[in-house]
Amino acid sequence: MNRCRVFFELIVLVLAVSAFRSDQPTRYFLYPTIALKPASVQSFTFEFDDELSDDTLFQNRSKEGYPVSYYRRLKASVCFDEKCRLLDVVIYWNITGRYLGFELPVKEFLSKSDHEPFTDEEYHRLNALLADGQSPLGNLSYEELVPRPYFSVKGIDAVTSATAKNVLDYIVKGAAYTTYKMWHFIYGPTKNRVEELTTKSLSPALVLKILESDDPSDKLWALNHINGFVKPDRALRDQLLDFINNSNFSLSERAIHAISAADLRSDSLQLSLLAKFNQADYSQKKLLIKKMNEAPFLNAEVKNNLADQLQKLNAELIGDVLGLYQKFAVKDLEICGKVSKLLHNENRFISQKALKFLENANPDDQVIAKEMADYRLRKP
Amino acid sequence: MKRRSALASIGAFSFGIGAKDAVPVEIEREPYKVKKQSLKTDIVVVGGGTAGVIAAIQAGRAGRKVILIENGSQLGGTTTTGGVAFPGIFFAWGKQVIGGIGWELVQEAVALNDDTLPDFSIPHGRHHPRHQVRLNGQLYAMLLEEKCLEAGVQLRFYETPIRLAFQNNTWTVETIGKGTHTEITCQQLIDCTGNGYAAHLAGYKLLREAETQPGTLMFQIGGYDFKSLDLKMIQTRYQEAISKGILVKTDFRNNIVGLLKSEGDNIQHILGADSTTSETHSLANIKGRTALLNTLRFLRTLPGLEKTRIIDMQNETGVRETYRIDGLYKITHEDYVTGKLFDDAVSYSYYPIDVHDENGVVPDHLKEGVVPSVPLRALIPKNSKNFLVAGRCLSSDRLANSALRVQASCMGMGQAAGAAAVLACKLNKTPGEVPMKDLRQLIAEHGGIVPGIA
Repeated sequence: MNRCRVFFELIVLVLAVSAFRSDQPTRYFLYPTIALKPASVQSFTFEFDDELSDDTLFQNRSKEGYPVSYYRRLKASVCFDEKCRLLDVVIYWNITGRYLGFELPVKEFLSKSDHEPFTDEEYHRLNALLADGQSPLGNLSYEELVPRPYFSVKGIDAVTSATAKNVLDYIVKGAAYTTYKMWHFIYGPTKNRVEELTTKSLSPALVLKILESDDPSDKLWALNHINGFVKPDRALRDQLLDFINNSNFSLSERAIHAISAADLRSDSLQLSLLAKFNQADYSQKKLLIKKMNEAPFLNAEVKNNLADQLQKLNAELIGDVLGLYQKFAVKDLEICGKVSKLLHNENRFISQKALKFLENANPDDQVIAKEMADYRLRKP
Repeated sequence: MKRRSALASIGAFSFGIGAKDAVPVEIEREPYKVKKQSLKTDIVVVGGGTAGVIAAIQAGRAGRKVILIENGSQLGGTTTTGGVAFPGIFFAWGKQVIGGIGWELVQEAVALNDDTLPDFSIPHGRHHPRHQVRLNGQLYAMLLEEKCLEAGVQLRFYETPIRLAFQNNTWTVETIGKGTHTEITCQQLIDCTGNGYAAHLAGYKLLREAETQPGTLMFQIGGYDFKSLDLKMIQTRYQEAISKGILVKTDFRNNIVGLLKSEGDNIQHILGADSTTSETHSLANIKGRTALLNTLRFLRTLPGLEKTRIIDMQNETGVRETYRIDGLYKITHEDYVTGKLFDDAVSYSYYPIDVHDENGVVPDHLKEGVVPSVPLRALIPKNSKNFLVAGRCLSSDRLANSALRVQASCMGMGQAAGAAAVLACKLNKTPGEVPMKDLRQLIAEHGGIVPGIA
């Protein structure tokens, strides 16, 4: 039994070692933002505010000219307790700045504190840990990584950091400093440069490609880089409207935010937003009305449709719609007539809003004037 | 000539101004008098904190006359005065679970401060802090005030109730404030003090643990470069100061590195902090400020920390736990962690079980998919009539309360309590008798998310 186990372990060891003797670099990658093959490489030099002497960031481009990924070599010492090991690895980023993967140069491998090489499982774990941009590693100092007595003062109990215990969930065992170093490199200044470079290449078509990513953070990145960055074409606009629904608040909220005041010059977009309003939940209804306030004008159908809904909207949304009318100086008798019906609402919060609106609009209509006078007499 | 007038004249002459041209700057006034008055309203909300403001706005927007009594100077409570301006959690497992008026106000504060909401599609569990929405607390306080006034809520700052009496289906609330002595009559009363203070005045039973969670004074320190500090040395000196009695071990959870790294954000612990009365709250404030001042002086003796300074500090210590009502139903830990859906559920809650002690806090996260709910009965004290509570003093055991107390959940409860009080007024009933269907419908009409129908 023991012989079999020893034999099996030997085979695993031989296979593991042979993997690192391959002529091909070892790569551990996540799914990319854009699944296009790199066709060319462009290099950019920056004064990175980090410890590396290598100041070059490489951008992979597809044959269509889209940036598809970035990479930079991390060659640094991992030191602690006055012992150092060399870390030599190439880090890849997606075009949104999201971590993509790492590549070990031929015959290079990562090792742990006991100089044991990483196993395949540990490489996979490292890859997954590095993908977590919100890892607590971001808030830890180098000294806090390994559980150890914080101090030794005579007469005082040594205290082990509770945080350090938690760190075990975020590192490869035996390679805390390697994990830490790589994580901080990935989420350091290079990430910002990656995003800056991609931003310079943005077009409606590229934004659409990013929006196709399965990763929600890629989608949010793209939605955050529309308003003020690119002028949406028809396809991108339709895609934005698709995101506005009740299934994912964050995407929907960002999609509404991505629509600019200039986009709202389009009557059809205003009507599309009205259709969204009619299906949206309360939080998004508020956002959509607020967005309408940015439009250079208010489409007549939008104006009338909202007036038709006044009786069934809740008190706060009625206030929002009346605010929208005030913004666009809507004072026509048809709208004022519909607003005056709110004077009969048993909710005085609503009826008073209606009165205030009508007083501002000052419609030249005897019937409405009488309704207002009657309301004042009732004083609900 | 009276003495003050004479003095004013002397002052004017001494500057060479003719008496004929002098503008009197001091005028004798009538002696100061406490203003006594009687007011009548539909609903009184006691406490303008996280839950109270939402309850008041809900009731006002539903057309009721509301008076909100707040013993401080601004609205928002823990979120604003307490400085815990991260009121999460509104989303759970990819879905919004707390919406309505609270969420509306949070969104508005975010937009007006050019902030960005977090990505709520990030998984929960231990990652729940990623869902926290950071607010500008002072901006939020102003927005709350504006929304209350818009909803017709009469705000009475610097006032506190001293007597409550219930007779002929009407509450009489006697309050005192700076120069005010007011008697308010109302149909429904909502206690949002967080301490069950109004419930106590009304004679209802309150419960409290022998040991409660510590409070926290929120502040920000700066003036040092954390990365360049010798943390080992600082740790050693910190422990020496504790052993000499210069610092208190529990004030900063025995974690000086945590204090420096967080720059003071939600790190202090004030054992026994209690906001129930002026005396206990004064003590909590003094303890918090004393601990901070002593620690500041100590830090400034250390290499690299000589220029440490206070950048900001809240006026009050935030308090996590005091009294809870003995309600028609007590939400248990088991109810909470299993996400029990009550027949009379009026709102959701979502937060890990989160009991702070002198060593800190290790949140116990809910299992995937679990979203607890809050039954109306937990907001109604036993043997009460026309009375509700909302916020952390709801009826719950200690562990359940450690999660229910968090702000978003309190906002959900506040809206539910406001709506229940509105219907109770309309139907001339006590809140426990309000038809659940109507109550749920009213909450949903005002954007609230009601378990079972959303």
